[in-house]
Amino acid sequence: METLNFLMQGFDVATRPTNLLVALFGAFVGTVVGLLPGLGPINGVALLLPLAFALGLPPETALILLAAVYLGCEYGGRISAILLNVPGDAAAVMTTLDGYPLARQGKAGIALSLSAVSSFIGSMIATCGVVLFAPLLAKWAVAFGPAEYFVLMIFAIACLGGMVGDKPVKTLMAALIGLGLATVGVDSTTGVYRFTFGSVNLSDGIQFVVIVIGFFSVSEVLLMLEKTHSGQKAVKASGRLLFNFKEFCLTFWTMVRSSVAGFIIGTLPGAGATIASAMTYMSEKRMAGESGKFGDGDLRGVAAPEAANNASACGSLIPMLTLGVPGSGTTAVMIGALTLYNITPGPLLFEQQPDVVWGLIASLFIGNVILLVMNIPLVGLFSRMLSVPNWILVPAITAISLVGVYSVHSTTFDLVLMVGLGVFGYLLRKLEFPLSSLILGFVLGEMMEDNLRRALSISAGDLGILWGSPITLALWAMAALMLAMPSLRWWRQRRRGKLNEAHA
Amino acid sequence: MYVRVFAAAWLLVCAGLSLVAWGFEAPFAYDPVGPRAYPLLLLFLMACGSLWLLCKPHGEPTPPFDWPMARRAALCVLAILAYALLFEPLGFVITTALATFALGLLFNGRVLPSLISAVLMGVLLYVLFDLLLDVPLPLGVLRLLES
Repeated sequence: METLNFLMQGFDVATRPTNLLVALFGAFVGTVVGLLPGLGPINGVALLLPLAFALGLPPETALILLAAVYLGCEYGGRISAILLNVPGDAAAVMTTLDGYPLARQGKAGIALSLSAVSSFIGSMIATCGVVLFAPLLAKWAVAFGPAEYFVLMIFAIACLGGMVGDKPVKTLMAALIGLGLATVGVDSTTGVYRFTFGSVNLSDGIQFVVIVIGFFSVSEVLLMLEKTHSGQKAVKASGRLLFNFKEFCLTFWTMVRSSVAGFIIGTLPGAGATIASAMTYMSEKRMAGESGKFGDGDLRGVAAPEAANNASACGSLIPMLTLGVPGSGTTAVMIGALTLYNITPGPLLFEQQPDVVWGLIASLFIGNVILLVMNIPLVGLFSRMLSVPNWILVPAITAISLVGVYSVHSTTFDLVLMVGLGVFGYLLRKLEFPLSSLILGFVLGEMMEDNLRRALSISAGDLGILWGSPITLALWAMAALMLAMPSLRWWRQRRRGKLNEAHA
Repeated sequence: MYVRVFAAAWLLVCAGLSLVAWGFEAPFAYDPVGPRAYPLLLLFLMACGSLWLLCKPHGEPTPPFDWPMARRAALCVLAILAYALLFEPLGFVITTALATFALGLLFNGRVLPSLISAVLMGVLLYVLFDLLLDVPLPLGVLRLLES
């Protein structure tokens, strides 16, 4: 009952004219950013974050904008996946597998409309999940002390290592680099300057916006130099534009299952939309068995990953809102946005800033409806944006990035630092270090050190406090399990390989 | 192969930063940990990771170094760096036009369309951000025209 009241209060916030306008704008920009190959939700949020801050938007409005962009990107990624066979963002890779064959068969319209509806159902189910579970978790999380928080963050980083990609060492290295970058600047406990090398500009640390834009926008520009797929023709969406009832029934349970699974994966800190869409696609394929045409254009193969990636995007807001620990790279950026406003995300957020939290949750419902309404009729307009050539797109991204960085402190130093970090990020990406875990590390960095030191201050230097309570022990066990995952997977694959050899 | 080069370089960076970090000492002991332990711990873990990447056998053959690509990437970095350095002295409109023109050419745009889009971008983005959205941007040299 209490939750319902808060939700109504949230709708009050979210339906203010500015907030509605911002959600509409965010949804549109998000869809466009999402469908442009190479640009994903992190880029979208990173480009708009400094803008929201410079415009002096109040925190709840800024967060609504970023959330709308985030959701919009998850919607937009599917358009280029289906029409071009190029995933608009990483989470849409799975959508290309069946989406493009469908488009080639002249069913592009059906695939696009059905995937829009599955995105909608995915987000809706997950948002309901947020409403139900977030307040509960927040109440429970108040019991967390500094030691528990520290171990929780270890768990989040272990999740990254266990779930992102197949290169756990590189993932963990990237997270460590992020944690290390966060130590630059004045130490908040003792006032000692660390790694500033005498520079005044570094004394309060590396600006979050500089990190995000450097690592994601500048390095993206450099990576785009290699992709010259301009001139690739998009498949024209022709024939029936809307799916029929039979097709909806065929895919309905797929959507529901994938949404629930995506939501659960999204709530795990570290594991994001990419993993969710891959896992649900695989399990739907297995469930369909012989009857499915997965890989040659099965509608369920489009519905599953799209429902899952939207559901996990919403699900990843749970750890962000309740624990202050991001559930994905994009929510890491959103936490950074909140800290720009001096709001610390965490369990107390629900009590101290109900407007921000519930306004955000309510705006997810509204943004979703906007996106669904926008995406079905306007799909032609969006697909035309795929033909914007790189020589206009890339300079525009660069200029907006510089404006974004400049708007925070107005110093040339930040701009040059951004370029430097961009080159570093480019090298890291070429060497296949996942940058989303670097960002996660950077966001967690300060909290992690503070909590560690606070915990050890309480215990007067006794390390035992870090594994002294049942919660910390459980978290350590979960972290160890996550870290063991890659070797377990590797071992199972090897065994299966041996079995196959024995059979042959 | 490239990963090993990076790992070796990173190991050196870790060593250098550890020396720097060793010097972090607080005048009073505010807390039992102090400002030094945590960065040193991170650097130690990073060094372990680098060693692992350095020593782990890599199965895949090294792809040849792509020189033309590297040259274009270097040009692109130079263009953005010049953009960053000249942003304040020359002002937003002029640097944006120059930089977007250079980048447009680098991304295989034709000369005239790139030039037109560059000038338009310089002016329109200035109007959009500075005048409409109230994000202050440097006018630079154009300030002379104002007075």
